[in-house]
Amino acid sequence: MAIIQTEGLTKYYGPTLGVEDLSFQVEEGEVFGFLGPNGAGKTTTVRMLSCLVAPTRGRASVNGHRIGVENQAIRQIIGILTESPGLYEKLSAWKNLDIYARLYGLSGQLREKQVRRYLEMLGLWERRNETVGEFSKGMKQKMAIARALIHEPRVLFLDEPTAALDPEAARVVRHFIAELKTEGRTILLCTHNLDEADRLCDRIGVMKQHLIQVDTPANLRQRLYGRKIVVHLKALTEPLVAAVRSLPFIKSIERIDNQLVIGLDNPEEQNPILVLNLVQAGGQVQFVNELRHSLEEVYFSLIDGGKAA
Amino acid sequence: MNRVRVIIDKEWAEVLKNKMILYTAGLMPALFVVIPLVMLYMTNKEKGSLRGMESITSLPAFAGMDPKSAAQILLVNQFMFYFLMIPLIVPIFIASYSIIGEKQQRSLEPLLATPIRVWELLLGKVLAAALPAVALTWLAFAVYAVLARFVATDLVYGVIVSPMWLLALIVLAPLFTVLSVSLAVIISSRVNDVRLAEQIGGLLVLPFVAVSIAATAGKILLDFQMFALGALAVAFLDVAVVYVGAKLFQRETILTKWK
Repeated sequence: MAIIQTEGLTKYYGPTLGVEDLSFQVEEGEVFGFLGPNGAGKTTTVRMLSCLVAPTRGRASVNGHRIGVENQAIRQIIGILTESPGLYEKLSAWKNLDIYARLYGLSGQLREKQVRRYLEMLGLWERRNETVGEFSKGMKQKMAIARALIHEPRVLFLDEPTAALDPEAARVVRHFIAELKTEGRTILLCTHNLDEADRLCDRIGVMKQHLIQVDTPANLRQRLYGRKIVVHLKALTEPLVAAVRSLPFIKSIERIDNQLVIGLDNPEEQNPILVLNLVQAGGQVQFVNELRHSLEEVYFSLIDGGKAA
Repeated sequence: MNRVRVIIDKEWAEVLKNKMILYTAGLMPALFVVIPLVMLYMTNKEKGSLRGMESITSLPAFAGMDPKSAAQILLVNQFMFYFLMIPLIVPIFIASYSIIGEKQQRSLEPLLATPIRVWELLLGKVLAAALPAVALTWLAFAVYAVLARFVATDLVYGVIVSPMWLLALIVLAPLFTVLSVSLAVIISSRVNDVRLAEQIGGLLVLPFVAVSIAATAGKILLDFQMFALGALAVAFLDVAVVYVGAKLFQRETILTKWK
């Protein structure tokens, strides 16, 4: 079931285009990644979906609540991590979370339980009484994530959650997001980190003011590059190449030293036949592996191509 | 209203961590209590300190009074004006720090993404700045009024607790805080520096100082009616600045148009 739905969502800031004609769906429990260069409209999209700015055109809903009509209901079920942590630097970690818990209407014991739960979960319990201004960037980011989760939102918007963090802190945050994924929360993740998107996201939307492509990382790779395998042979001869070429399911074939790069539709079914053929033709197969294009290659070919889906 | 209370709690928690605001908010009322009391005491004690003041009895407001009483009433009136500067200045300090502080910390966006309504946020910020200012004004005046009993003559004391000044403190002071906070919201939406906002906001006292000088110079006559009309004028001004402030205090405007 789609928990986020948009249809022709468009935002202009005065005469300046923010995003145009955005139509996509995010399923419940899915981690959906938005990739795009600076100014692509990722933050604008998150702001529209979290009812911070109103769309100029188009429609959207979160958990069935229409944006612009049922904003209060939407705000109650979403959590947002903004680009900058935006914490109250002079207040303690406990106070920062307590303020938000109260704003979401949590009261008494539940509020205390939630604040404690997230401070413990993110390893900040021992420092709960320290002012957050003294925290490291990573700790502040953890605080901002805890704040976004304090009311147990069904939908979480994470805008650049690991930007400006050192590798260790980024890793901790990524692990935490992966944990949230296992809890079944719906997450909309805006990121510049392609590796992060590849690892965390079920589907990815590549955007540059409009949506260029939406699909799973694997499907995006396949759609752009097809599936290819690399066969490493002890020695590569012309009869071996001919034996491979004779197979009807071969889409493409490329020879690099003692390796064959072969395009296939269904490697899982076709690899055994291919290997058998090579062995019968006298080939000595050392390894067979799938050629995996990086998401970066996919991203740049989509952004540079810029063709609408 | 719970969310309004959360905002007030948050604002006060932050203000209590800011020594500059605490000193400013505490020092001004303390000075406005101590200085007039000392001056009243001195003018009672030393005859010489009134030298040259005899001419003020020629002013219509002091006709028929002895020079000492006239001088003391002039002094008391001048300091009563200073009391009214507390609700103009203190909220500017608190509100500017509060709003620009949020801008600098970039804490407005996550806050606005919560179910808080903008009027709740604005009201919370207004009350967080206005309540301490009004309370400080009234507390300072109460202390002054109690202690003045020991150093002022009956005639002078009657001026201190006259209906005219009570009206000013009870009605005009809260109206001034609303004016001050609303202006702080407007100014804070355009600047990113707390001190600059405070300096611009500080200009608010200039018309007020002009009125106090004119009154001291005998150019305008202070009476209940004048203060009632003044309160009415400030109330109208409040409506206008609250309207402009509320217009600026919208989710999208804050996130996209505030500098």
